[in-house]
Amino acid sequence: MAKNGYDYDAIVIGAGPAGSTVARLLAQNGKDVLVIDKRKDVGSPVRCGEGLGEREVVAMGLELPKEVISTPILGAKVVGPNGKEIVWKSKDTHGWVLERKMFDKWLAELAVHEGAEVKVYTRAVDLVKKDGKIDGVRMEKYGKDAYDVSAPLVISAEGMEAHIARKAGFKTVHNLYDVDTCYQYEMQEYEHENLIELYFGNEIAPRGYVWIFPKKDKKANVGIGIGANLAKWKKNSGIMGAGPKILLDDFIANNPKLKDASTLVDFGGVISVGAPLDKFVDDNIMVVGTAAKQVDPIHGGGIALALEAGVMAAKVANEAIEKGDFSKQKLYEYEKMWRADPGKKVEKRLLLRKVLENMSDDDFKHIFNTITYPDLDLVMQGKFAGPVAKVLGGRPQLVGVLRALIS
Amino acid sequence: MQGDLMITIDHAGCVICVGCASVCPFGAVELIGTRIKTYPEKCTDCGLCIKACPANVITLHKGVKDVKDLPAEARKKL
Repeated sequence: MAKNGYDYDAIVIGAGPAGSTVARLLAQNGKDVLVIDKRKDVGSPVRCGEGLGEREVVAMGLELPKEVISTPILGAKVVGPNGKEIVWKSKDTHGWVLERKMFDKWLAELAVHEGAEVKVYTRAVDLVKKDGKIDGVRMEKYGKDAYDVSAPLVISAEGMEAHIARKAGFKTVHNLYDVDTCYQYEMQEYEHENLIELYFGNEIAPRGYVWIFPKKDKKANVGIGIGANLAKWKKNSGIMGAGPKILLDDFIANNPKLKDASTLVDFGGVISVGAPLDKFVDDNIMVVGTAAKQVDPIHGGGIALALEAGVMAAKVANEAIEKGDFSKQKLYEYEKMWRADPGKKVEKRLLLRKVLENMSDDDFKHIFNTITYPDLDLVMQGKFAGPVAKVLGGRPQLVGVLRALIS
Repeated sequence: MQGDLMITIDHAGCVICVGCASVCPFGAVELIGTRIKTYPEKCTDCGLCIKACPANVITLHKGVKDVKDLPAEARKKL
């Protein structure tokens, strides 16, 4: 029974990786949690490349059962516009391509196992307020009347749409410049070496990349993300880009290993690649995961960031419930933690994205001819100085663009 | 807006990615159940949803006050 006459100690909106993580850790600590998700199936439909790095997951103490994994990954192969490849394999580049349906279900089941309650096909309609303060959530099962559920703490883990967070005053609407619009096929058969493959080039994927993420049984997720501000449905003269599906189909048609492969799944999606929200909390409400725009601006990956934020939010939420203090000052402790780490790393990646946007294919070719995979490792950690110096050595005219990375 | 715009979505091609709902500043598109629902009275013809949509399934019909005035093909796509 929740404290102080509320129906629950917390209501989590969204049973994705962030929401299920918060729910699990609250329930584990004896709190009454309700998780609602407007989809019929947790984990479905999959709108994701399904890649996850090992480093963060191991740091969180999560052990993935084998049914949520499609295939283990040993590293990456990055390909420039002229076909030059850099292969990057080290113990730091291990990870998996997941089966998101199984992964999301597993996380929700762990939460239920700890005592959380999960309701699918239940949509949050609005926040309930009492004396001007958030007091719970109005929700509905489709076709039935809406009803109110009370809780002193609401956690928005709503993903890209984030309607309730928007109603609570968070600036969750996305602009075209800060999202990538993406298309993806699950294809078969594709021979691979357990590496994720990334293809760059302004003709291939303007402000983005094509990815091939291998899956088990010689399947692969083959997808593309491009800057949504560059997607044009009618080809205007001098303007690059076309729809992501058109570019992806072109890439596949020109790839001898893919052009005759079968397609098992066909879908698209839109992902935030901009800065996180300028605030994650307010009185009685916290926003976590993709809803808070906590997504890597370089590769569009959000699973690890969602899991990490879920852990931090749950820690503070647990204390808030125990102390009965749901003020934004108390809840801000989660945001402060996040901004320090991984927030600073994400900021550096955003800087890197903006720099890469101004590169021509010629610049890319030079970079691919100059750097090696240890440089890539440094760059991805935010240690730009060494690799930048190398690149500038051969192409000093890039100093204007690259200066931002070392100031 | 105010009755002069109709938004149609080719639901057969829609991948239910909520890209449109994520970029619409006015709440004119939302995923309800397993389908994108449109609220043309909130639409201002900004076109952001069309640009964001990876499946190219959204069309804005201007100067259309009533569903009856849409071409037959489009009426199936509300």
